[in-house]
Amino acid sequence: MKAVPPRRIPWTGGNVFGPALLFVAIVATWETVVRLRDIPPLVLPAPSLVWGSLVSHTRSGFLLIHLGVTLVEILLGFLGGSIIGIGLGIGVALSPRLRGMLHPYLIASQAMPKLALAPIFVMWFGFGILPKILITALIAFFPLFENTVTGLNEVDGEALELFAALRASRWQTLRWLRLPNAAPYVVAGLRVGMILSLVGAVVAEYVGANRGLGALIITSQGMMDTPLMFAVFVVLILLGVVLYEMIGFLERRCLARRYRD
Amino acid sequence: MGSKSDARHVTTKIEARGISSEFATPSGPMLALRDVDLTAQSGEFVTLVGESGCGKTTFLRIVAGLLPPNCGEMRIDGVAVTGPSREVGIVFQRPVLLPWRTAMENVLLPAQVRGLPTEQACAEAEALLVSVGLGEFLDRFPRHLSGGMQQRVSIARALLLQPGILLMDEPFGALDAITREQMHLDLLNVWRARRPTILFVTHDIAEAVFLADRVILLSPRPGTVRQVFEVPLPRPRVPDQRFDPVFAATCREVKHAMQTNGEGEG
Repeated sequence: MKAVPPRRIPWTGGNVFGPALLFVAIVATWETVVRLRDIPPLVLPAPSLVWGSLVSHTRSGFLLIHLGVTLVEILLGFLGGSIIGIGLGIGVALSPRLRGMLHPYLIASQAMPKLALAPIFVMWFGFGILPKILITALIAFFPLFENTVTGLNEVDGEALELFAALRASRWQTLRWLRLPNAAPYVVAGLRVGMILSLVGAVVAEYVGANRGLGALIITSQGMMDTPLMFAVFVVLILLGVVLYEMIGFLERRCLARRYRD
Repeated sequence: MGSKSDARHVTTKIEARGISSEFATPSGPMLALRDVDLTAQSGEFVTLVGESGCGKTTFLRIVAGLLPPNCGEMRIDGVAVTGPSREVGIVFQRPVLLPWRTAMENVLLPAQVRGLPTEQACAEAEALLVSVGLGEFLDRFPRHLSGGMQQRVSIARALLLQPGILLMDEPFGALDAITREQMHLDLLNVWRARRPTILFVTHDIAEAVFLADRVILLSPRPGTVRQVFEVPLPRPRVPDQRFDPVFAATCREVKHAMQTNGEGEG
């Protein structure tokens, strides 16, 4: 009937065996090539070396501390950006005047690469987690804002006429028509916003941080500890999958029954 | 709820006087309706027929208070229409159900908007869904209902607040012939039980004649009342009446009147 925002892609596609086989094949090839050609670990560490680094740094708690910092940044930034994005989206969708006033600035704020703000944020807010949370929030904001506005506005014209005929107030129309209509769009926005938040937090940490997975990547580069860097990559991938699945879980809990099956 | 007039007491329910309506088009204003006079008595079943583009839907929107006429006066129960009224229920061409609500929840919408107590409204909604044959589908979502069932839900929704007037805009146009005939009978049953005044728009002459006490023929561009036909068929209407010579004769009359070019306006 109408354009529905894209579905979540299940990351295993339901089939576990195929992906697992491919994983083993890739790791085995990687290990073999590195050993046969004697590639130095500084350039490309063998999977066994990465695994060793991952295990030892996890045991010592070293990786977990940095993971914790990044996770806090991601979650707080994502939460803040989502709340502002959804709230401002509702405001703009309901008030043409507000939309007219804010529109050029919202577009401009998107044209500006937010990561470029990282250095100035460091100067203003220091090397702690606050500037990273702010950058992450700025990045997560836009998909939420845009999807909320779209979802609230793309309502069936005849449904609006029905609500008018029922003499529904603006608030009732928002509550029973526009918001439920926007729900799938908002969840799609959450999905995108979550992944962008991960990228945002890590890259923000590249610029002047002493903790967090991004800072760890920079540190391992300085120490020429490539196996550690790869171990961080592995943690980042796992983190991304978990965060993405969290949104999927939310979607299944809140939307599945009413919106699709 | 509002039982102002007693059951069989016949009064003028809808009264349109000299209704005209204009549309703005890129090539200037276009007259959709010109000087339409029309009345419907309380409890009467009136159908409006005409070719597409003759302003039937526009007229219905004016009765519903969704569109003000450019001139003329529309009265319901003797009071000028200034906006949507709670005395009016509307069934659109499409069912216009909220896809995230079950059949029951869709029917309850008007009560929610009006802030009525839920238990009473629930009982009424359930009774209505049962009366349109959907007693077993209360908790189904619209996507799990056929087109005919969806339109039944929308009829139940329009009737929830017991409006005195039911406006229907080609509600069965998208249904197949067999479903449509069943819908006719079910609609007539609901109408007999509750006796709202029905204004039913269609371009199907047989449908108009089968349902109505009176058929009002509109001529197109601009829409004006061409002719009014009393339908002499007894009630309750039954499917076999479609083979009745009186039925055929009435349909023929309407059809001929529709085809004669009403330029001179007799």
